Parts: sequence; structure tokens; C-alpha cells
Amino acid sequence: MKLLGRSSSINVRKVLWTCAELGLTPAHDETDTDIRALNPKGLVPVLVDGGLVLTESNTICRYLAAREGRHDLLPETPAARAQVESWMDWQASDLNTAWRGVFMGRVRNHPDFADPAVQDASIRDWTKQMRILEDRLSSTGAYAAGGDFTLADIVLALSTNRWERTPMDRPALPAIAAWMDRLSSRPGFSQHCRNGVP
Amino acid sequence: MLTVWGRPNSINVQIVMWTAAELGLEVDRKDVGGPFGGLDTPEYLAMNPNGRIPTLQDGDLTIWESNACARYLAAKYGAGSLWPEDPADRAKADMWMDWKKTSLAGPMTTVFWGLVRTPEAERDMAAIGAAAQTSQALYAMLDKWLAGKDFVLGDSLTIGDIPAGAMAYRFMELVKDRPSMPNLEAWYGRLTSRQAYRDHVMLPIT
Repeated sequence: MKLLGRSSSINVRKVLWTCAELGLTPAHDETDTDIRALNPKGLVPVLVDGGLVLTESNTICRYLAAREGRHDLLPETPAARAQVESWMDWQASDLNTAWRGVFMGRVRNHPDFADPAVQDASIRDWTKQMRILEDRLSSTGAYAAGGDFTLADIVLALSTNRWERTPMDRPALPAIAAWMDRLSSRPGFSQHCRNGVP
Repeated sequence: MLTVWGRPNSINVQIVMWTAAELGLEVDRKDVGGPFGGLDTPEYLAMNPNGRIPTLQDGDLTIWESNACARYLAAKYGAGSLWPEDPADRAKADMWMDWKKTSLAGPMTTVFWGLVRTPEAERDMAAIGAAAQTSQALYAMLDKWLAGKDFVLGDSLTIGDIPAGAMAYRFMELVKDRPSMPNLEAWYGRLTSRQAYRDHVMLPIT
């Protein structure tokens, strides 16, 4: 099994953390070589497992959990599985588009996002999204999908680490802070999530 | 009885309604969102903390996010048909579902809002044109994938066809100036021959 993609990408790090939870050690190619041949979008990560070539980080995480039979990370019953997938889909869409302006502007120093108004709008949207997660964790008192750790926590924690590391004013979100502490003992968390990289 | 909260002209509501109809499930659909409002009430936010449509209820169970709703219906009521049992097949279907959400939805939203919901004099035609180009390049990927296949996973319709297929109606109707994509067009023709697709996706684009 081989994973392609640079580990500055939170989408690559989701997969690396999932692999750590599963005890898998795929060969990891950081250099993005061959990405275009495997994925015309040129986006990372790409997972190659024998003849199977997969893109889309959340898809890859779900595939690996299913492949290893880890129903604790992705439940088998449709109802329980849907609770995990709602939060994963939200991470990949509304949460993931909210950070773009401020992160690209202030961390990546991308000229398209240099306008302070664009960055401020992004901060407002990102804060609004993070409050949704705060309310959820406050109500479960444990993890995103409920009482147990799942793949939803992996993908959301990568976004949260980026939130904590992007230079901007942000409110204190105590339920999120407590949840990140709860996650800190997981295999892979220090190496792939809260590892100093936004 | 299932309940789906969301107006019928929303692409994300259409994904869930089409899935339910393929499975022969009866749905009580409730108009919320857009001109109907109703998404910011405490009752709605208790069901869907993100305050968007659709929300699906199946008995006591509540699910939000269109792809999560569609996957749930397929897994619960369509094992072995819409829902692929093999993990590798399911991952291929899943990949095209995520692709619609993470790649295709952005540019197609620009095309849709620009051409359908913006008065002609106010349209940013450069931005709309660029988004149409991106959408077309994305559908060209699916065209290539569909070579030699009737559907995303091969011989029959699965959950992998549904989000990209729902968006295909808007793409075909709104991006008329596009190169020939024979595999995509043949697949789209197969979708348009399905009653469930005609009933829930091929609605006036408003």
C-alpha cells in the first residue's frame, strides 16, 4: 500500500493518523510525483492499494477502516454510521471552505487572499462553524459522533489544529479544548495532528 | 415513513429524494429553506446544527448532510443494489460522492447562481465562464472513468452515481458550450430514462 501527498496537507495527515490508529504503515511518498497520472485534479492524498487507486481523504479514511474491519472507527449499522458521516461531510464542505481566506492569506501568504476584508470574512465564517462543533461537543461531553472516538474526530481535529495555529483572534471554545486534550493520548495525534504544523 | 426537510429545487434535497425513489421508499417532504425559511428555528437547529437542507428523519433517527442521508438510505434499504457490499467497490462509489461535494459543488454553484439567480445585467460573466470551464474539466474526469461502463461501478446504478448524476442535469442544461464527452452523455442518457430521476431531479432550475 502506498500513500502519496505532502504532509503539510491536513487531508494527507487525516490518512496518516487513521493509519496510525489502524497499525498500518503504507509507503509514504511526500514528493507528489505521479500525482497527476493517478489523479487528474492533482490533489492529494492518493492511496494505491494493489489495483485500487483512491482519491478524496474522507473516502480513503473510510475505506481503510472498513478494510481493517474497525467498526469502532466507522460503525457498521447504517444509523450509527450516518452520525459519523454527517460530521465528516460537514468537515469536508462547510468547515473546510470557511478557513480558506484567512489561512491562505496569513499562513500560506497567497496573494489572492491578501485583502483584509476577505480574511475577516473568513474568520467570521470559520468562527461560526467552530461554534457548531463546540455546541456539539458540549452536548455529547465526549466525541463528535457521541460517546465513542470515531473517524469523525480525526478529520475534525485536523481542522481544529489548523484553527488553533492560524494567527488570528479567536474565542475560547472550552468543549473543543477539552476534546483536543482527550484526543492527545491517541496513537498518531502528536505525530500527525497537533505536531506544530497548521 | 421517512420525512425529508427541504425545498424540491435544492440539488442536495434532490440527491436524497432521488435515492429514496430508486429504493421505492415513500417520503413526506416538507418545504423549508430558500423562500420558505424555517432553518434558523431552535426546532430545526436541534435536528440539523448546520441549519441547512436537507434533513432526513427515519422514525426517531435524524440525519443531516445530503451524502450522509443518501448513504444511510442505500445502506439501510438498498444493500447489494444501490449500496455496494465490497469495501473496494464502496470506496469507489464513495470517492465520486465526495468528489461532487469537495470539487464539483463549488464551481457549479457559481454557474448556477450566476445564470439562474442573478439578473442578466449584474452577471459576472468572466467568473461564470471560468467556473463553467472548471466544471467541464471535472466532468471530463468522470467521462474518462465511465469508459466501458454503464454506471460509476459498472453495470448498475449505485450510490456512486447519485450526487454527480443529480448535478449532471444542471451541468447539461446550464453549460451548453462544451466539448463532446460521449461516455458522460451516454451515462446521462441512462439517468434521464429513469422515472425516479425525472421525478426528482429534472425539475425547473430555479
